[in-house]
Formats: sequence, C-alpha cells, structure tokens
Amino acid sequence: MKLSELQEWRERAARGISVRGEQKDWRIVVSMGTSGIAAGAREVMRALMDEIERQELENVEVALTGSLGMDDVEPVLRVERAGETIVYGNLDPDAARRIVTEHIRQGRKVERYVIGLPKEKE
Amino acid sequence: MDEIALHILDIAMNAVTAGARRLEIAVHEDHERDRLEVRVADDGKGMDAEQLRRVLEQFASDKSGRRHPIGLGLALLEQTAEACGGQMRVASRPGRGTEVAAWMRLSHVDRPPLGDLKDTVFALCVGAPDVDMALTYRRNGWTARFGSAAVRRELGPGQSLQSPVGLRAVRRALLGVPDS
Repeated sequence: MKLSELQEWRERAARGISVRGEQKDWRIVVSMGTSGIAAGAREVMRALMDEIERQELENVEVALTGSLGMDDVEPVLRVERAGETIVYGNLDPDAARRIVTEHIRQGRKVERYVIGLPKEKE
Repeated sequence: MDEIALHILDIAMNAVTAGARRLEIAVHEDHERDRLEVRVADDGKGMDAEQLRRVLEQFASDKSGRRHPIGLGLALLEQTAEACGGQMRVASRPGRGTEVAAWMRLSHVDRPPLGDLKDTVFALCVGAPDVDMALTYRRNGWTARFGSAAVRRELGPGQSLQSPVGLRAVRRALLGVPDS
C-alpha cells in the first residue's frame, strides 16, 4: 500500500466511511407520524441529514417510520448499531446535530435526550 | 399542523407505511380562482370502504381515548380544508392505492401557509429512498417539478440518495420548489 493510499484509507476511516463498503454500520430511524410531525420531526430530520452531509458520513442509513407510539416525547428517533438500540426523544435540530457528532462520530450517547434508560435502583 | 406542507408530509407518510412504490404530490396555488389544491396519490395497499370510513370519522366517533391512531392525518387535513371553505375527497382501493385530494380558499383567514414544501419533499425522498417520488408545484402559470427517479439516474447505480453526494444532488434538484 502506497503512503498516499494509506492516508486516504485513514481519512476515510476517520470520517467513518465504511471501508468494506457494504452494510452500513449505523441506522437511524426517525418517527414521522402525525404527532412527530406536529412536534418538529421534519426539522429534526433536516438537521440530521445536513450534519451527515457536512461531516461526509457514508456509513449511516436513515429511515422514516410511522409513529413509534411515544407521542409524549416526540420528536423521537432510534439509533441502531450492531444489535444495540438507543431511543432519543424530546429532540430539536440542535439535539439531532449532537447525536450525529457525539453518538455516531465519537461513540458517546447524548444522555440528556435518551429515553427509556433502565431506572437505577434507589 | 401549522403548514400545508406538514399536512402533505403526514398524508405522504401514510403512503410510505402503506408500502407505496410510487408517490405523487401535486400542489396548485390558483390565485385567479382563489383555490389551493393539494393531491397526494400512491400505489400502496389502499383501504376498503369500511377502513376509510373509520379513518375519516375519528373526530366524530373515536372518543375512546385512543389518541393518535393511524391515519389521523387524513382527518386533520379534512378539518383544515373544511375550515377554509373547501373540502377533501379520498379514493382508495385495496391493493391499488389511495388518492387524497383537498382544496381550500387561498384567501381564507384560517388557511395555514404553504410552508416549507422543499423540506417536506427532502425528508420523504431521503428518508424513504425506495419510493419513487414526484412533485408538481404550480402557482398561476408557473410550474416546478421534482422527481426522485431522475436524481437516482443522475447519481447512477451504487450511489445512494442518503450519501453526501446524493444529498447534494437532491438539494440541487429541489432548487425550484418553494420553502416558505
């Protein structure tokens, strides 16, 4: 492997571009039912895609779904990776951008927006 | 819903969850006749007469506490159309698809603004990339068109609408579509 190729490979890996090029590593499912839309899910979706574009992320698949049945905490989205699923709620565009940067790029959950974490024992 | 474009997104999401392969959205602002016309047609699984009746009568009959049943968007659009001097019609056939057509008075004081039609189409064609989506927007004599099939052709095989390159192509194709 030439040095220039190695650099290219490193850059792609750093940006999270799948070097295998098949199945995407990450999947984001955005709840886009009536209550989600009314609460701002379209703007959340837009911020998400803007950030994916801005950070040149190739390894994220995004899907829309009807209501996830969590009307009280819309807008809601689900981040899935290798069998692990995190549900985020009460989102706004800024929260969506943070999920891309902190969770997907840096591997750190954005705790403030996580829904349904197991309750700690008192 | 405080934008017509959000009503459209809601109706179109019914089509996506109904397994549509093709989705057509048409919006016509006809100032001469004082009409705003919206049409959303899909080739999804459709509804029979009884299902359709239940969906449309949600406000009248469903006081049971089920809060956001599937298809509430149709009842909401009907409410908005009728509040603005117009009406909504739905034609649906099981296995064939559904067509929703609504009109309202452009000048009606309660009419929500058109809103961000561009973001509505963007969310749909990026978030449901397997659905072939077409938009026609007409305002008086002027027409803007968008088709996700054309964007996919331009991108070629192996490049998804969700990739950074794909997203940029979608945005370029949406340039003529109104966003407020």
